[in-house]
Amino acid sequence: MASAPLLEARHLTVVRGKRRLLHDVSIAVEAGEILALVGPNGAGKSTFMKALAGILPYQGKIVLDGNPAETLPRGGRARLVAYVPQHSTLDAPMLAREVVAQGRFAHRDGWGRASRDDASAIAHALEATQAIHLAERPFSRLSYGERRLVLLARALATGARILLLDEPTAALDVAHALSLLHRLRDLAGRGHAVIVALHHLDEVAEFCERALLLRQGRAVCAGPVADVVAAAPVREVFGVELVPGAHFGYRAITEPNS
Amino acid sequence: MKIATVYAVLLALLVAAAALALAVGHGTLSDPALRNTLLELRATRVAAALLAGAALAVGGVVVQGVFRNPLVSPSILGTTAGASLGGQFALLALAWGAAGTAIPSELVLPLGCLLGAGISLGILMVFCRERTGTLVLILTGFILSSLFLAVGGFVTSLAQDQWDLSRAVVAFTLGGVGGTGPRQVLAALPFVVVGLFACWAWSGTLDVLLSGEDEARTLGVEVGQARRWTVVWVAVLTSAAIAVGGNVAFVGLVVPHVLRPIVGVRHRRLIPAAALLGGTFLVLCDLIARVFPSRTELPLGVVTGIIGAPVFLYLLARSYREVEHG
Repeated sequence: MASAPLLEARHLTVVRGKRRLLHDVSIAVEAGEILALVGPNGAGKSTFMKALAGILPYQGKIVLDGNPAETLPRGGRARLVAYVPQHSTLDAPMLAREVVAQGRFAHRDGWGRASRDDASAIAHALEATQAIHLAERPFSRLSYGERRLVLLARALATGARILLLDEPTAALDVAHALSLLHRLRDLAGRGHAVIVALHHLDEVAEFCERALLLRQGRAVCAGPVADVVAAAPVREVFGVELVPGAHFGYRAITEPNS
Repeated sequence: MKIATVYAVLLALLVAAAALALAVGHGTLSDPALRNTLLELRATRVAAALLAGAALAVGGVVVQGVFRNPLVSPSILGTTAGASLGGQFALLALAWGAAGTAIPSELVLPLGCLLGAGISLGILMVFCRERTGTLVLILTGFILSSLFLAVGGFVTSLAQDQWDLSRAVVAFTLGGVGGTGPRQVLAALPFVVVGLFACWAWSGTLDVLLSGEDEARTLGVEVGQARRWTVVWVAVLTSAAIAVGGNVAFVGLVVPHVLRPIVGVRHRRLIPAAALLGGTFLVLCDLIARVFPSRTELPLGVVTGIIGAPVFLYLLARSYREVEHG
């Protein structure tokens, strides 16, 4: 029997002004799973992610570990769902360890005092992301890839079992991207439910169980990766042809600017 | 440098500045007939400058944190101009006998400042509700400041008819602790103490807000609530500061910038340090205002401006250099 999903979104719609950015999208993600959000630029991946994270107002229903999201206070929600944005606006000269410690905010008392749990959660998060060597360096002086690791550590420090990552491999070199995806795989293995927006279909195929293909704010196709990263839906949404036999390589069937 | 060492140095500086301010000034302490009177007058000034400096510096730390903008000062909210206008009206009320006898005359000015700041804050809160962005809050504060400054100009023109009143309004507008009495200081004291502790209690939230409002929300911060309360406490601090020190510029802007390279950006450390350094800075500025050789005492706001502006420009140039050269 399948376990109850850690995160469930039903008929999610996001409207900003007169624009409908997301239209009636539903997903369910279980512990141990990685679900990839795939689609061209502007498809609604980040919008969907932000609605799940509670940043954008939405219509529809989100259930987090059995709790309707709208009934949860901010702190309660932060203990269930952690979000790693595509671009963090944090640029203060804080130590990386202090940034990771922000992840414990929802666990602190009214005076903001750190507990023994905080120290071990921060150490564990730095260890799990292999970012211990960055802990005493100023966050503002880290490279882009190093910042992403620290932000992932901050997400882990929250203790949340649902992780949302918006294009975590964008602008990372191959080695860093693979390393980060392996860590996500490890986290899923430890019982986290991971939702990750990705652009590279080979990464989706190798590291994710299921995928949701979006176009113009609508779900085109959802299910096991083999069904979503397949010739027909990829051709329909991206206008590119998957090359059989080439390890999820793809070539454009229309020339740029044509 | 360890934070305990920094606090010890700042505390020593404050004690030294206060001792210097008590010892130095017009009139000699060796005259037994004047000694007690001079010490009492100077102690009142030191206490007023200390409270105003601490309040303005901490107000600066908090608004720079909550708006994630190092170039803002407490005046950005419009409550400073509101408190100043309230103080000007209080001076008019005193001169025209409109304050009545129910309120002790020395408390009319502080109450006027608090009322002015409260009205300004009320208008700000009406316009800036839960999901209003920071930009709207800043613009509303700017518009309110402009409005209150314009009305303040009108009040100054009304005061021209009476020489004493005119001098009092202008002196209040330019800042100074010379006319502040012990009862005014005592009236402002609880507002400053409570305001400082309240701001310190929000320091953990302010740290998380450094990541931006969206990220802070996902980390568990009730952003609207945090912004609302910190704005309230900054208004309390600035109105109390203006009640005892009039309009004093640059303290809230410069002190946080001086301290961040030394104590870091975390508010739990920064707020106590700002209170100590802000108090020290204003005590020393008041000392300069008193002893500077001129026909009349220099306005405190003029001294803080003359010192604060070049210091701020230097800090700005240094931070640009650091950015350019890594």
